[in-house]
Amino acid sequence: MSKAAPHKRRRVETGTDLCQVIAAPIVWSLHFLACYVWAAIHCEKAGRMADLDPARTGIFVLTGIALALIGFNTLRLWRIRARSLTDDDFDYDHDTPEERHRFLGHVALMLSVLSGVGVIYVAIPAVLVGTCR
Amino acid sequence: MTDAATREAQERRLEKTWETPKGFAYWSDVNNTSVGIWYIVTAFAFMLFGGVLALIIRAQLAVPEAGLVSADTYNQVFTLHGTVMMFLFAVPIFEAVAILILPAMLGARDLPFPRLSAFGYWCFLIGGVFVCGSIFFGIAPDGGWFMYPPLATEQAGIGADIWLLGLSFIEVASIAAAVELIVGVLKCRAPGMHINLTPLYGWYVLVVGGMILFAFPPLIAGDLLFELERLLDWPFFDITRGGDPLLWQHLFWIFGHPEVYIIFLPAIALLAMIIPTFSGRPIVGYSWIVLSALGTGFLSFGLWVHHMFTTGLPSISLGFFSAASEAVAIPTGIQLFAFIGTVMLGRAQRSVPMIFCLGALATFVAGGLTGVMVAVAPFDFQVHDTYFIVAHLHYTLIGGMLFPTLAGVHYYFPFFSGRLLSRRLGIWSFWLMFTGFNVAFLPMHLTGLLGMPRRVFTYGADRGWSELNLVSTAGAFLFAAGFLVFVWNCLKSWKYGEDAGHNPWKAGTLEWLSPSLDIGMRSIPDISHRYPLWDDPDIVRRSLEAEGYLPDAEEGKRETLVTTVLDATPVQVLRVPGPSFVPMVAAVGLGGLFILSTFHFYWTALASGLLYLAAQIWWLWHGAAPIPEKTEKDVGNGLVLPLYRSGPQATGWWAMFITMTGDATAFLALVFGYFFFWTVHPEFPPEGSVTPGMFWPAAAGLLTALAWGLTLAARLRNAAGAVTTARFLLGLSVAATLAAAAAFALGPLTRGMDPTSHSYPAIVGALVLWVMAHLLAGAIMQGYCLARSLAGKMTPDYDADIWNVTLYWHFTLFAGLVTAAVIGFVPGAQ
Repeated sequence: MSKAAPHKRRRVETGTDLCQVIAAPIVWSLHFLACYVWAAIHCEKAGRMADLDPARTGIFVLTGIALALIGFNTLRLWRIRARSLTDDDFDYDHDTPEERHRFLGHVALMLSVLSGVGVIYVAIPAVLVGTCR
Repeated sequence: MTDAATREAQERRLEKTWETPKGFAYWSDVNNTSVGIWYIVTAFAFMLFGGVLALIIRAQLAVPEAGLVSADTYNQVFTLHGTVMMFLFAVPIFEAVAILILPAMLGARDLPFPRLSAFGYWCFLIGGVFVCGSIFFGIAPDGGWFMYPPLATEQAGIGADIWLLGLSFIEVASIAAAVELIVGVLKCRAPGMHINLTPLYGWYVLVVGGMILFAFPPLIAGDLLFELERLLDWPFFDITRGGDPLLWQHLFWIFGHPEVYIIFLPAIALLAMIIPTFSGRPIVGYSWIVLSALGTGFLSFGLWVHHMFTTGLPSISLGFFSAASEAVAIPTGIQLFAFIGTVMLGRAQRSVPMIFCLGALATFVAGGLTGVMVAVAPFDFQVHDTYFIVAHLHYTLIGGMLFPTLAGVHYYFPFFSGRLLSRRLGIWSFWLMFTGFNVAFLPMHLTGLLGMPRRVFTYGADRGWSELNLVSTAGAFLFAAGFLVFVWNCLKSWKYGEDAGHNPWKAGTLEWLSPSLDIGMRSIPDISHRYPLWDDPDIVRRSLEAEGYLPDAEEGKRETLVTTVLDATPVQVLRVPGPSFVPMVAAVGLGGLFILSTFHFYWTALASGLLYLAAQIWWLWHGAAPIPEKTEKDVGNGLVLPLYRSGPQATGWWAMFITMTGDATAFLALVFGYFFFWTVHPEFPPEGSVTPGMFWPAAAGLLTALAWGLTLAARLRNAAGAVTTARFLLGLSVAATLAAAAAFALGPLTRGMDPTSHSYPAIVGALVLWVMAHLLAGAIMQGYCLARSLAGKMTPDYDADIWNVTLYWHFTLFAGLVTAAVIGFVPGAQ
């Protein structure tokens, strides 16, 4: 197979698209919102002195689900991981659909990592805070 | 290859087609270059006004117990200062700059909806003059730029109404710009400009446009509730009748925090264009900047409660927002490191734009660091509502927005005026502003730590704040002097500045390709590089010698290319409308509706609203999706493209989709209001409440579904060629829609719900009003399609109108069903 093969192979508008790029941050948003809403409703209904444990369990389960989804996304994108056709770096400035696919794959992969870090950040307060005070 | 004479004739036709109107008709122009310049000048005019207000604040605070202005006037001055700077300068300047430079940067002749840009501009101008003008009559808003209830809902006078209605009107302009810019970036890039070759500015605009769609609508929903409380006494925020002032804070800050990034990202997008030029190399870490911009866009929505750390929320809630506030520093930091890396790896060239860039980075980093400090809740408890916060927010806004914007003005001045700004005056203005800014705001950190609260109109000499305040005031005037030098530089150089010539900064991006503003570029070249002017030396010649696309305007129509989202393959020639006064008339009508309502002149307001509606329909009827005289045309290089597209291939469909996404967000913010009340009340609806029952909400939901089904069926039948059936279905759908609207109203009305009695009937009323307004608009659209079909302007082949209306109906169906379920079927509501 010649070196130029990939860019001949990929058809326009196929491969990684913008929806895949924002998938992981959307998981982060939903996780963030669900944790906040769950804890807020629990504390409002149970009172300020209440134990946070029921909500904490929920938050840990949600965090597990979110990390699993992001992990799955990361694994899927990991398979794309490919360097730029132009200089074998992460600059992705070649003008083919294949390069665009690789570029968006890289952006999506790194956003997955950022979203994973974001999800863990959001879960930390639930580890440390035990009541609704 | 075309000969010189043909090329000259083509160029003349292009220039005539895109010519800016002369005389009074100049104000009917809709071309992005004219509208962009008006927008920038107006935003800076408001900024100067806001700056004068800032100087009044500083003069009043220079010495203890000063009597320059009264406490009442001071309240109006600081409220208006914040409001003007945020809503009339920081956000609009993004829209202004983007409208001006984006098409050229992407290789488009104009943005896809030029009249929408013009409409947005006139909304902005009218709303801005209205809000600013109020202070000259002593009736300006005075409750702080975030208008917290209960103070703002219960105070007399019309200040708060001016704030609410004036700004709601300006928000319309922002959403219009977001629609325009998102579609522009996604669909109007030059052929070959794959999304990985798009200039970073385009990426930032895309992210910020998306953020506007999710950030502004909650504020619009909040404004609606707020105004219903002020005008009709519906108690959404009145705790004695089941309301909660915190609901406003949530809705305001769900808007307010992302807004900080809506301001910041487009400004540093300018740095992403300027720094590579003056470093003489491509940006370092293009893909990292893109992902960081996207990441910042998302994470910035998880920060809003950090403005509410002292409202008594549970510490777990504070923890979530504190964590997200720290997390957002990661992508923000990546972007700044990429910029610094570009400067380090390149050969930095001394220039005025660059000095502003470096000043911006230094200032913003300082503001970012205090941001990390105040993201820590216990520290925030100490400094909340003190001058520490004033210092922090000015460091982020001036470092993150003002200095980058001034860098952008210096950089792009030759682009839109053909002249260079004076370098000497530029350096003077920078150092005066940079020094003045730090002298003014650095001491404020200390003033705040010493306990000086925000918004006080004076203070006692024994507090120990006197010297620091005097220094801050001196700095503020120094800063103002620097800004005046900048203004003088612009005014002087506009006429007498040095001729810039072609591409004066030797930049690499496409906006510097062509010397002509009106036509954009002589012909639209194929793009194969991220910095085409650096890497494709032949591109200027190809464009100028008409070897690109659309080198001619044979039919005398304004045209630009539509390309695909990912790989920018050309798919359509888009005909964009030319000069017209209609956007201005529509803006005057809509402005009248908002402004006259403030003064409770309801009948005149209604008349003004009808003027808006008439103008809007006229605009669509004559301007939107006209049937072309032929199906396709040759755009050059043997490429033949269709002139008309409908459905998801059409830019209009995308515009509708984007608008309705924002609209759905506002609706969800109202639904959030309902469930917020459900959360804070032990029982909601409270026991014994009068409810709309199940019958009418169920009937309303079913009728909405019927109206939606009829509209969809009309589209399908029309496409299948059964025009008469389609018309019949459209007629029926109007009747079903009106019946649905009536059914929504009948639930609360027949049960005698009193929206002034409690927050429950009030929020039900708000949801019903929202969905009824959408149904009425939906009925007008169905009638419009029927009329278009009867007039022969909508046919089975040319059916963009009904595609867009059906799309609107998908969203209306969602809103109708959710509303019916919430008011009729939530436990306790029956």
